[in-house]
Amino acid sequence: MPTEGLAVLLSLLSQQGFRLVGPRIGNGAILYDQIETVDDLPVGWTDKQAPGSYRLEKRADNRAFGYVVGPQSWKKELFLPREVIQQSSLETGAYQWQPVTAPVSPTAFIGVRACDLAAIGIQDRVFVSAEQADPAYDARRQSAFIVAINCTEAGELCFCDSMGSGPRAESDFDLCLTEFDDYFLVETGSEKGAAIARQLPLKAASDAEKSDLSAGIEQCRQQMGRSLNTEGLPELLFGNLNHPQWDKVADSCLACGNCTSVCPTCFCYSVEEVADLGVGAAERERSWDSCFLQNHSKIHGATFQSEIKDRYRQWLTHKFGSWHSQFGTSGCVGCGRCIAWCPVGIDPTEQIEAIQQDAAEPVALPVYRAEAPITDRRNLFESTVAKITAIKAETDDVVTLALDLPGNYHYQQGQFNMLALPGLGEVPISVSGDSNGQIEHTIRDVGAVTAALTSLKANDTLGLRGPYGTAWPLAKTTGRPVTIITGGIGLAPLRGVMRNLAKQIRNPDSEWVSLVYGAREESGLLFRDELEQWQRNPAIKVAVTLDRASPGWSGNIGTVTTLLQRKQLPVDGLYLICGPEVMMAAVIRQLNEAEIAPENIYLSMERNMKCAAGHCGRCQYGPYFICKDGPVFNYPQLDFLFGQQGF
Amino acid sequence: MTEIATDNRPTLGVFKLASCDGCQLTLLDCEDELLLLAEQINIVHFPEATSPGQHRGPFDLAIIEGSVSTPEQLEEVQQIRGDARVLITIGACATSGGIQALRNFGDHDEYQRVVYARPEYISSLATSTPVADHVAVDFELRGCPVSKIQLLELITACLQGRTPAINNESVCVECKRNGTVCVMVSQQMPCLGPVTHAGCGAICPAFNRGCFGCYGPKESAATESLAAQIKAQGQTDAEIKRLFRLFTAGSEAFSTESQRHE
Repeated sequence: MPTEGLAVLLSLLSQQGFRLVGPRIGNGAILYDQIETVDDLPVGWTDKQAPGSYRLEKRADNRAFGYVVGPQSWKKELFLPREVIQQSSLETGAYQWQPVTAPVSPTAFIGVRACDLAAIGIQDRVFVSAEQADPAYDARRQSAFIVAINCTEAGELCFCDSMGSGPRAESDFDLCLTEFDDYFLVETGSEKGAAIARQLPLKAASDAEKSDLSAGIEQCRQQMGRSLNTEGLPELLFGNLNHPQWDKVADSCLACGNCTSVCPTCFCYSVEEVADLGVGAAERERSWDSCFLQNHSKIHGATFQSEIKDRYRQWLTHKFGSWHSQFGTSGCVGCGRCIAWCPVGIDPTEQIEAIQQDAAEPVALPVYRAEAPITDRRNLFESTVAKITAIKAETDDVVTLALDLPGNYHYQQGQFNMLALPGLGEVPISVSGDSNGQIEHTIRDVGAVTAALTSLKANDTLGLRGPYGTAWPLAKTTGRPVTIITGGIGLAPLRGVMRNLAKQIRNPDSEWVSLVYGAREESGLLFRDELEQWQRNPAIKVAVTLDRASPGWSGNIGTVTTLLQRKQLPVDGLYLICGPEVMMAAVIRQLNEAEIAPENIYLSMERNMKCAAGHCGRCQYGPYFICKDGPVFNYPQLDFLFGQQGF
Repeated sequence: MTEIATDNRPTLGVFKLASCDGCQLTLLDCEDELLLLAEQINIVHFPEATSPGQHRGPFDLAIIEGSVSTPEQLEEVQQIRGDARVLITIGACATSGGIQALRNFGDHDEYQRVVYARPEYISSLATSTPVADHVAVDFELRGCPVSKIQLLELITACLQGRTPAINNESVCVECKRNGTVCVMVSQQMPCLGPVTHAGCGAICPAFNRGCFGCYGPKESAATESLAAQIKAQGQTDAEIKRLFRLFTAGSEAFSTESQRHE
């Protein structure tokens, strides 16, 4: 296609109703912005990049795509920087969240480089390939028309060749162009693309032109300014979580979030409740988040990644490591944006090289399991209204709510629901049991939303979506002793299991159930009636311990570990643990000493679940999303990470 | 118009210490929302907006603008804290000492001698300090001045009993969400954005200026690394010192960094 054919292509796409987004100079950089004609393109310009530096320069020729990549990526068109995802509405007397479906204007992306094409594919795996699709992302993605552009020149910070994501666009485009001084080579990648191509001034490519393409691609590979050895990298990174390089990089890292913002694959988001003084509908707005921000890993009472070192390590080990376990690819496409746009020019390829040169042994990571293609996707933000039928105050600050739910609601012990009060917020709460078709949630008042939830009255309503996550292995409880070790509110997700076991006819000599339960003080003990009932069951032993004894307390004082005598820990038993992480860590140390097989230990790691679909990235724990890979884990899944500071 | 159940509305007191009044004006600037607010909250003390009259607490919510700069103010903040169920401080003065905290770096007595004909009439403290240095504060809203949207959000959240949607992230994140090109990377322009608390909407870089740090240091403000980079990009120590000595010069992170370049 002659160079002039580009103008024809743009006008054809416009005529078909596409909004055109392509490269355009703005504020001293090449942005992806709305364009109309070829005059808007950065014809004759290029970009010179170095760590922490980017500037535009004139080219000697008049190429329209003679630059590498700018500060923006296509993510801003698909996964918007800010977006209202839910709105409350007053229906049948109850406030309910409604997913927001904004109108989509079909967009043609003009000039998508191979690395960015790979990045779109990676975000697709996050937002639409999973069990729950993000409806807005999906709609924008489906309606997009992609005009890819092959790279025949590489920049100083490029390393797509190392990441296997370029420089040639292989698939997943509608049309692909390769620009030369006076012509474009055009390839079609879809029926949509072919239909447009039929209207372009094309002639068959000559052999010489075809060899220009392979020579150009080869030249580009040779020019890559950066390279990275990716061999065994995920396992190596997780085997080196205490490498001194993390401290070194933390000395210069600003924890500003620029790298994650410019990264075309970073997908973490936060959701804020937006409610005015009560006139408009409450909304939930999501925006780009970053693992470099404190709030990303902050929950009530804890910040899991409080140090800059923790945050940088989280980012790098995720991007180049645990991403493989989660999505089956690296999270890096080698575009180099994070190097250029880091204000202090930190280069991850250098960090990785430093670790590789002086590395401890790698550790094995979980293997990615592709999820089955989804035919009937759940809308991530769809919630139902649940009515409170009964309330029981368990302690001063803990209540159990019984909820009336639709008949098609089924859950398993260990799973959780997202409970929402429009205008206040949404929190993950495990199901603490069910009776007479009512689902129960036992909630401690620790923050704004839980304070409101615990002060609800009978017949009040709340928004609910779920159930989510993994369940306790009930099938494994038969024919063996079961030991349940819990602390504080940690008894709630295990109450259903206790009830279930208490109903069974179990042999007290070989299938006894031992509940070891610790609380701060006597007034903080949950489910006291049931504790007494269980105590009367010949197959159940209940041992309760308090941190602080009150007058008249004749039971044990001390942590739960003081009740775990080695001789009382059956080697073939099953162990279910839920409580504060320090408690669980201490318990696991003791079980290890007692030579309990790790496969027989399960624990619930409930923390920081927000979207509950593995999209928002908040609850990441190494290779896992706690919201979908957990909260209940078999201990060998976690042993390489459990107790590691900063994760 | 909705009838107001006056007696049940929570009470609000707005107080001013050493400051320019700009943050209180932000509250007045709320206009339409202020009327809505006034329906839900009983404003019993707001000198900037009302005729003189002394109302003492208790207050369900007290808002303080300004820094602690005189011995009287030292006593006043204790009194306000004692009278307030929830205390929030607003603006760079109240949260970091304000521009007047520049005196913390100099000789207070000498300033008085040079500026005032009769310095013995002046009663001020040697330093200008944030309110939180003296009493417990429930929420510090940053900015010079504070953002109207954030102020409304904070008051609304206090009224509704939810966590305010006010992030402690860097200005950079706001720039990136807005699509603003980084002035530091593309023009080597000194910018405090990477170490500054967000909330302004990243105005300055959008107008081709580096961030002045009006909102003060963000949590984990890596000022030393940023200053080293600014120096590498050609700024002198004197220029770097000035950069960290603006409206939030009194904050710990910025004052420490500015002293490194003295």
